[in-house]
Amino acid sequence: MRMPCLLRRAGVMAAVLLIVPALSGAAELDDKIYTFFQVEQLEYRMGDGTDVVAWDVNAWIGNDDHRIAFKSEGENPVNEELEAAEFQLLYRRPVSEFFDINAGVRHDIRPDPDRTYGVIGVEGLAVQFVEMDANLFVSEIGAVSLRFEAEKDFLLTQKLILQPLLEVNVAFTKDTAIGSGAGVNDLELGLRLRYEFWRKLAPYVGVHWERKFGATASFARDEGESTDNVYFVSGLKFWF
Amino acid sequence: MRSMNWGTTKTFFTAGTLAVALLAFAGGAADRVNAAGKHGAGGHHGAAAAIGKPGKASKVTRTIVVTMRDNFYEPESISVKPGETIRFKITNKGEFLHEFGLGTAAMHAAHQKEMLVMMEHGMIEADRINHERMKMDHGDGMKMSHDDPNSILLEPGKSGEIIWTFSKRAKLEFACNIPGHYESGMMGEIKFR
Amino acid sequence: MTGNLRQCAGAIAMGFCLALGVTSMATAGQYNLEIAKTAINVAGERQTAMTFNGTVPGPVLRFKEGEEITINVTNRLDEDTSIHWHGLILPYQQDGVPGISFPGIKPGATFTYTFPAQQSGTYWYHSHSGLQEPVGMYGAIIIEPKKREPFRYDKEYVVVLSDWHKDSPQTILANLKKSSDYYNYQRRTVGTFFEDIGKMGLGAALSDRMDWGDMRMVPSDIADVSGYTFLMNGRNPDQNWTGLFKPGERIRLRFINASAMSYFDVRIPGLRLTMVQADGNNVRPVTVDEFRIAVAETYDVIVRPKEEKAYTVFAEAMARTGHARGTLAPRPGMKGAVPGPRPSQYLTMADMAGHAGHGGHGSMDHGAMKHGADGMPAGTHKMPDGTVMKGMDHSAHGGMAEGSHKMPDGTVMKGMDHSGHGMGAAKKADPFYAAGSGLTPKAANGGKFLSYADLKAFRPLYPHRKARREIVVRLTGNMERYVWTINGEKYSDAEPIYLKYGERVRFKFINTTMMTHPMHLHGMWQILDNGSGKYNPAKHTISIAPGTTVEADIEADAMGQWAFHCHLTFHMASGMFRKVVVKRELAERSR
Repeated sequence: MRMPCLLRRAGVMAAVLLIVPALSGAAELDDKIYTFFQVEQLEYRMGDGTDVVAWDVNAWIGNDDHRIAFKSEGENPVNEELEAAEFQLLYRRPVSEFFDINAGVRHDIRPDPDRTYGVIGVEGLAVQFVEMDANLFVSEIGAVSLRFEAEKDFLLTQKLILQPLLEVNVAFTKDTAIGSGAGVNDLELGLRLRYEFWRKLAPYVGVHWERKFGATASFARDEGESTDNVYFVSGLKFWF
Repeated sequence: MRSMNWGTTKTFFTAGTLAVALLAFAGGAADRVNAAGKHGAGGHHGAAAAIGKPGKASKVTRTIVVTMRDNFYEPESISVKPGETIRFKITNKGEFLHEFGLGTAAMHAAHQKEMLVMMEHGMIEADRINHERMKMDHGDGMKMSHDDPNSILLEPGKSGEIIWTFSKRAKLEFACNIPGHYESGMMGEIKFR
Repeated sequence: MTGNLRQCAGAIAMGFCLALGVTSMATAGQYNLEIAKTAINVAGERQTAMTFNGTVPGPVLRFKEGEEITINVTNRLDEDTSIHWHGLILPYQQDGVPGISFPGIKPGATFTYTFPAQQSGTYWYHSHSGLQEPVGMYGAIIIEPKKREPFRYDKEYVVVLSDWHKDSPQTILANLKKSSDYYNYQRRTVGTFFEDIGKMGLGAALSDRMDWGDMRMVPSDIADVSGYTFLMNGRNPDQNWTGLFKPGERIRLRFINASAMSYFDVRIPGLRLTMVQADGNNVRPVTVDEFRIAVAETYDVIVRPKEEKAYTVFAEAMARTGHARGTLAPRPGMKGAVPGPRPSQYLTMADMAGHAGHGGHGSMDHGAMKHGADGMPAGTHKMPDGTVMKGMDHSAHGGMAEGSHKMPDGTVMKGMDHSGHGMGAAKKADPFYAAGSGLTPKAANGGKFLSYADLKAFRPLYPHRKARREIVVRLTGNMERYVWTINGEKYSDAEPIYLKYGERVRFKFINTTMMTHPMHLHGMWQILDNGSGKYNPAKHTISIAPGTTVEADIEADAMGQWAFHCHLTFHMASGMFRKVVVKRELAERSR
């Protein structure tokens, strides 16, 4: 399964290389192209069951008005097969002072079978400095689902930052093959305490709780998986 | 008037007159006006004595022509002999209001504070004396500048004179105390030969 | 003679220069400047700077009013460069802005600037290419007047203030684009929240946090960038630039703020400062205890140290992130006491008065104000319009501290009631800050802080007349995205501003952002309306505080195309910039 992933990445790069020159028409200082790459989470989760390595990565390239964005997240139980891995390639554009819209494709290589989705979403900084990201997905088999994520930084000091996080996945159509029922599929709550040694590099510790609901939970139980997990996490956030 | 006690301000300048004007402007009490007015008529005291005294025309031995420009004097310094009586013929060839005053540095410093207040209250403006404001008086039309024998305040284009008998050697300056003028260099030393 | 003068960089015995300078004919002032990368020592570290003739700042260029100026500039960099003569009135082709005045100077090429010196005073020069200026490409220009100046001094020193960052300007801008609070290490924390609860109570502290949170803005964002080492004539505070004096001498200090991003509050404890020139033009002398110098402004002050001791020249960053420091002393090596830092300043809701809320791109018209009534200082209830004096605070009684309360001029006075206050008239808030602004300057010694309202032209450059039309210049931006704009558009998206040759137009600056913007117009003066009528001062750079409206007239007397921009480097670089075109005839649509 590694090869298709690499191919897809190559595809992403090709798309970026094609689009970037188109962006850079004017050579003004105020229209420069920047690149951003962030590993928001790269963490080791320790819980009652199998430990898990998880990642959440996002990146973009572009000027103020047009950006190509890339997102990836996934989980790999230690010494087991990859459990979840998704990749998104999006076009991003500001729609208000604080919000962007994203539109593009998402491809999950796990769970098996792989799935490709159309994505449309809104992300940005909501009131009270809540970072939020809401996306609607329509899969290749027509299943519609919604994901909502929110997080907020509380500064204990200028460098010690506590970040609560919430993610909820809701499916409007079931997709039994990948273990998704209709309704609220799962909920994740996290609390991470990071120390920004440098703005761009921050190790963290925290707790991560996730729970599956309804048919999705049943599917998980059938697979012998737990539906309610609490992990102690430690990881690294960095960007450049 | 709570915070300012003009009656005891030590200055060569007729403090009382200024107080009158200020009080009148501020709508101060009439009894204070009278008291201050009397004080002003009392003339010089303290440090003022050292600078000499108004001279008689008949005693004049020398005339010094002083031109006031924006914002400097010509000449930049003046030499005198102790006891000498000098007629200063002063002309304001600038576009702004200027003063020619004789005194010690400390007297000028005190006077600058008063001039600042007068400027802030519109009694003097950059290029004119506001006689309306200055006059807000108590009947006898006492004006701020011209009954001070050691100082003359001239509007642009105007001329005037001071006759002054210097006493002993002292550290004296001639100066314009309109806000900012002294500090930017409109002052000169009186050198005793 | 000219040759001699050229060597008087730094201190000049002015009596000497003046004596020689009064009889002037059309002489020629010529300089050769070479631009190259040079290692300099900042804060004990070797850093690579871009320099003029190898120094930071570059050499002082001294000219005489009326002479022909020739400057040969050779580019030894591996990128294009340019020099802009900040504040000089000259043909636009000589103004040095790549893409507007000329194509720039290619690597290895020499460009010769020639123009007459039409004015006198303190100015400066700097690169106008890319992000070169912050890494050392700035220096002072002095043009000696034909006529005797309206003030007198014995010695003079140029005092160039600047800010040096270990991150390259390209890195800084990239960091700001990716994370706009990257350099803000004065953000409010959980700790300050509890402090505020202690000070104002839970309700007020919470409500204040909610108000800022609703706007998604940070009250400690005063400078965008921290981590600067502040320099005085290229020296850091420890390297202590020193100017010598003999007690009783009058010293003219020519302050130039060549910083990329930093405003300074300047004072010399123990000395009063007599302001005689602002942006190269003489002003009626006004004596103050402290003044704020915006980025790109110049102020000439005269001081008269009388004691045989060292006086500290202290330029504290407006954001209170540090200071530049130097010394005036009778002998080298002397040091005066260095004042401690004042507490951080925080913006208030008053500074946000012009903020548009959730307007998004370009639609900044509905100046919706959000007020947390609880957590606000008294007097912040009013939407301030810089020109309105209604918010005056008459409550202070106190004594007349020396010159500390400039009364408004005669006309405004009439409405004032002095009956309850005696002569201890109230301190007037600076009308160039929003009422209740967290940035309103206060002198460290409680004395007089210079206000724009104090600046009165010594001799007006132009006859006073009414502007034919008004152009609204809305200062807009998006801190979160780090995009700074004028009227909601950045330079690369915007049409130029067209002016008709010979007309007088009024620029109405409305600052809708939370930042203070030093707006600089090339080639023409901006005559700041500070209520002085025909004595309104002419400036090349006008600072507009958050939540205020400031108006300035422009006499469009210079044909060609000119740059007009915020002089904060990273605001300019992210779009707060316009081309201004002066033409004989305007197309109908551009009037």
